[in-house]
Amino acid sequence: MSLLNQTGSVIAMNVRSIPQRLWMSLATVGSIALVVAVLLGFLALANGFNQTLKGSGAPDVAITLRDGAASELNSVVSREQIDLLGQGPGVRAGPDGRPLISAELVLIVDGIKKSTGTKANMPLRGIGPNGLLVRPQAKITQGRMFTPGSNEIVVGAGLLREFSGFELGKTLRFGAQTWKVVGVFEAPGTVFESELWADAPVIQSLFKRGSTFQTARIGLTSPAAMPAFVKYVKDEQRLQLKAQSEQTYFADQAERSGLLIKYFGWPLGIIMAIGALAGALNTMYASVSSRAAEIATLRVIGFSGFSAFIGTMVEALVLSALGALVGVAICALGFNGLSASTLGAGFTQVAFRLQIGPDIITQAVTLALIIGLIGGIFPGLRASRQRPLLALAT
Amino acid sequence: MTDLDLVWKNLFRKPLRTILLTVSIFMAFLIFGILTSLNVALDRASESGSASNRLVVSNKINFTQSMPYAYINRVAAIPGVTAVTYQNWFGAYYQDQRTSRFVGFAVDPETYMAIFRDEARLTDAERQAFLTERTGVIVGKSLADRYGWKVGQTIPISSNIYSQANGRRSWDMKISGIFTGAKPTDPTTAIYFHYDYMNETITFGRDQVGTITVVTASPDQNDQVAKAIDANFANSPAETSTVDEKTFSRAFLKQAGDLNFIVTMVVSAAFAAILMIVSTTLVSAMRERTKEIGVMKTLGFSSPRVLRMVLGEAVLLSSLGAVLGLGTSAFILTGLSKSPVGSNFGDLSMSPVVALSGLALAVSLGLVTGAVPALSALRMSIIEALNRG
Repeated sequence: MSLLNQTGSVIAMNVRSIPQRLWMSLATVGSIALVVAVLLGFLALANGFNQTLKGSGAPDVAITLRDGAASELNSVVSREQIDLLGQGPGVRAGPDGRPLISAELVLIVDGIKKSTGTKANMPLRGIGPNGLLVRPQAKITQGRMFTPGSNEIVVGAGLLREFSGFELGKTLRFGAQTWKVVGVFEAPGTVFESELWADAPVIQSLFKRGSTFQTARIGLTSPAAMPAFVKYVKDEQRLQLKAQSEQTYFADQAERSGLLIKYFGWPLGIIMAIGALAGALNTMYASVSSRAAEIATLRVIGFSGFSAFIGTMVEALVLSALGALVGVAICALGFNGLSASTLGAGFTQVAFRLQIGPDIITQAVTLALIIGLIGGIFPGLRASRQRPLLALAT
Repeated sequence: MTDLDLVWKNLFRKPLRTILLTVSIFMAFLIFGILTSLNVALDRASESGSASNRLVVSNKINFTQSMPYAYINRVAAIPGVTAVTYQNWFGAYYQDQRTSRFVGFAVDPETYMAIFRDEARLTDAERQAFLTERTGVIVGKSLADRYGWKVGQTIPISSNIYSQANGRRSWDMKISGIFTGAKPTDPTTAIYFHYDYMNETITFGRDQVGTITVVTASPDQNDQVAKAIDANFANSPAETSTVDEKTFSRAFLKQAGDLNFIVTMVVSAAFAAILMIVSTTLVSAMRERTKEIGVMKTLGFSSPRVLRMVLGEAVLLSSLGAVLGLGTSAFILTGLSKSPVGSNFGDLSMSPVVALSGLALAVSLGLVTGAVPALSALRMSIIEALNRG
């Protein structure tokens, strides 16, 4: 019998004997599944948040902040600066033939986070008619857009999902003014969905902002026009602003959220994995010792130690692969698409959905298979080194 | 040979198996110890420095919106208010905006130090210096240690919000004192400086205050005073929202996410995993010993005694893992407290409550995992046991 045939039949024997150690094998599968589910949960959380930030930035839209401001909240941009920005190279013309610039301001208002019932920071963004043109993803899905010059607000669908206080048709009070929510917009997979939008001039006057804005978003003719425009803003002494592509702006913010995985997800995943590994080793040692007589018989009739090793190894890998499968299934059914929210870089809440992707599934499954591999090696070695006659004697 | 000796011998009959089980249990309690302590520390952080008779007044729209300076005196005049101070968030950082941001407030030194005397402890000389030096700043001990600041030194403090009329974004401040917290473990990673110094030099946002802290005559009057303050400013351009300090900081911490929920989920998952591993392994371990249990019963060991011994073995096993796991997490937490990230949480060390609930959890884990093998040992008849195995 060839080595290949030997190994094949030993693997079959091993796998078919799993039901004899049903409960211990199930415990191994279950514990590995939980490791995979916890790790994948954290990875999906970070992944969903990152994807939302990354999905928000367009490569052909430049965002300018005051030089030194880290977020929109801390930035100031004047009317004059905005006019100067319009003279930059590569600026696209809007439908009215004038430069496509959306001058915006953001302030923070309170909403109530549904999951905790506590107050949370909601961004109220003042935009003009160009606001929608630089965000082609956004569409009004219920009600209508606000009428320029009126105290009307439209609310993002993500914000509605996670926070209460801004339902369609509701009248709100900010200071001495009342506002009405007249529409809901969707901008799937972007941070804009977590915002409230109103008419910029109305916000300027009611919140006493004079004629200043905080940021300008500039539509360029193509992503290739970005470097020239960034350089123009940097060199124009009268501006004192910093321009960057919206894509870079949000990618920078996404980078910082990696901390969650670094400090929580992976350490936890690895600690749990070691716990599950100990369980897997026990199961596999039990498997080897319960089949001691069987292994010995095979050795006596000429099977190699190697086939015994591989048989044990494959059994461990099958169990861990099953565990990984169950863990991924738990995550896919239980967590994927779940809505969550956290405080973003702009000091306001960002609503996002947990998102499982091929790359993070690969990471979690790899961890499971490593458990299986290590959990199989040592018991496998014991199986291959077993002295046949001694085992048969007992 | 006592029963305990027997239990101990049984436990280590297969040393490798016991060690592996201990590792599993150890890991679960490591997670429990660290996560629960972190959660406790965060809860406590929202309460540290909050006195029961202090209220926070902020703009009703959101606490990042300011209120007119004139509100301070109007709040002070409301019945039941015994003291008032105010603060403005500065967006402070030192040298590098990305890596060295910290809490910085512009305050009124006299009223601030009167109310927060315990939370920001200074010597009398330092207190006096802070009162008289217009550009004075008091810095927390942790920050002073981090940047090597000394009393008397002048440091540039920048703001990511404000700028000066002369175009500069940083303010030269002279360190009047280095404060410590009420307890040595309280976080001291903040700076406080003169509101007037800031107000006179900033280019926008003058004569505005961020939040007003109010001391009431007694905690019983909190609700009444809070309502009176908010009613006073109703229908004005800057309406107020007044809550007690604890509610205010808790709401702020909750913004990051529901940590309680995440901790509960992860700890439950870890325990579900070891519950499965340990109980199934113990069941199979007992099955190997069926014959032995038969012999013990033949020798006159009563069924309850056998039950106790099997349960005892499971409890001993889980306690062993738990004590090691909790001990290690206490050790790790101490190290974490000293790291720059951990120092923001204040005291991270494991509280007796966490340690005791960990031990209680260990005993119940032992009882649950030992239940099935113990019951089967209890029910087993001698004949059956001796025939099997």
